[in-house]
Amino acid sequence: MSKSNKTVQEKTIELSELVAWFDSEDFSLEAALDKFKVAEALAEEIEADLVALRNDIQLVKKKFDSEE
Amino acid sequence: MEKTRLSVSDFIAVTNQTLEYAYPLVEIEGEVASFKVNQGKFIFFDIKDAGGSLGCFMTVWQMRTPIEDGMKVIVTASPKLTQWGKFSLTVKAVRPSGEGALKKSFEILKAKLDKEGLFALERKRPLPAVPSHIAVISSTQAAGYADFIKILNDRWGGLRVEVAHVQVQGVSAPDQIIRALNYFNSRDDLPEAVVIIRGGGSADDLSAFNDEQLVRAIAASRIPTLVGVGHEVDESLADLAADVRAATPSNAAQILVPDKQELIRAVKYQVRSLLPRVDSAISQQLAKIKSFLMEALESVSDKVDDNLNQLAGMRRVLAELNPATVLARGYALLRGVTTVGEMIEVETNKSIIKAEVKDVKVK
Repeated sequence: MSKSNKTVQEKTIELSELVAWFDSEDFSLEAALDKFKVAEALAEEIEADLVALRNDIQLVKKKFDSEE
Repeated sequence: MEKTRLSVSDFIAVTNQTLEYAYPLVEIEGEVASFKVNQGKFIFFDIKDAGGSLGCFMTVWQMRTPIEDGMKVIVTASPKLTQWGKFSLTVKAVRPSGEGALKKSFEILKAKLDKEGLFALERKRPLPAVPSHIAVISSTQAAGYADFIKILNDRWGGLRVEVAHVQVQGVSAPDQIIRALNYFNSRDDLPEAVVIIRGGGSADDLSAFNDEQLVRAIAASRIPTLVGVGHEVDESLADLAADVRAATPSNAAQILVPDKQELIRAVKYQVRSLLPRVDSAISQQLAKIKSFLMEALESVSDKVDDNLNQLAGMRRVLAELNPATVLARGYALLRGVTTVGEMIEVETNKSIIKAEVKDVKVK
């Protein structure tokens, strides 16, 4: 996890909200540049997180070959 | 040689001990005949071939796949002499043998479970969009499991995967899979999905996934189920009872998690698509300003035109009032006192005339 403690999913939602802002009525040219920089940084974080994440595969110790 | 004298009961017991020692469990293949169920609990049938016939006994709960007369089966049984002196096979398990019998058994059970609504679409639950904790039931030595894990790791990360190693073919496979399913379903921290996978194999290899109790256990699972058994063309009853069916174990991994490469591409595309939007907003703003200016200019131009039109109108009125215009129409201007004998001046368009008043009549 890079920079913040948010999960990839949380970051993806945040990015989607930022992107939606550009299409919303709140859009203003003055704020657009700052929002764009935040979106760009978020996209980089998401990519870095996805590349770094590994699955944790655990074999269940319990045996299933007979009733206990 | 001294003859052994035994009671009837002792002889039966000794015979059974001998049989148990010689054939603790035996598999016998033959055709089913005289199949019947007594009191809804006990099943009796004969298994025969061209050379002979054997009586079989088993309980209803041991019957995992349906059988009927004429079907070729393999029974796993212990031979026994009953207290009435009848030789019989106490059946532990029975399974169809051969493609025809497997298909027949499959169709009978499919129709039965379908009638009960186990495969109904309205029972199907969706899998989590992006799970963080899943359970996998498979043989860890199977190629299908390796394919699943490879695709899973290629596509996604950060997932907690709990794997229950079980047999995925043979007589004990259904019970092992059921126990693993029950284990995950009884956990406090329930996985978000349980995946049951097995690679390709013969119809007999895959028949474990047509076991009635296993199919019922899958349908009853609290955790949403994803089943990927065999190849794309293989259909098992476990597939039909699952919430989601995957064509293969690899396909199960594709269904379960998104592809991170696709997500990275989508995220980059989202950000790249913002710049044209900003450009477009700037262009729209400029167009709006230009439009305002044009409107203002048109407004000024309209005002000037109005004033010019007004001026032209006033000019026309002034021109009408000009005495020269009146004289041009043939009228004359008369100056002086209109009394008889007085001199007056008459001005026309072209001349000024001096004249004497000779007569004056009142109109």
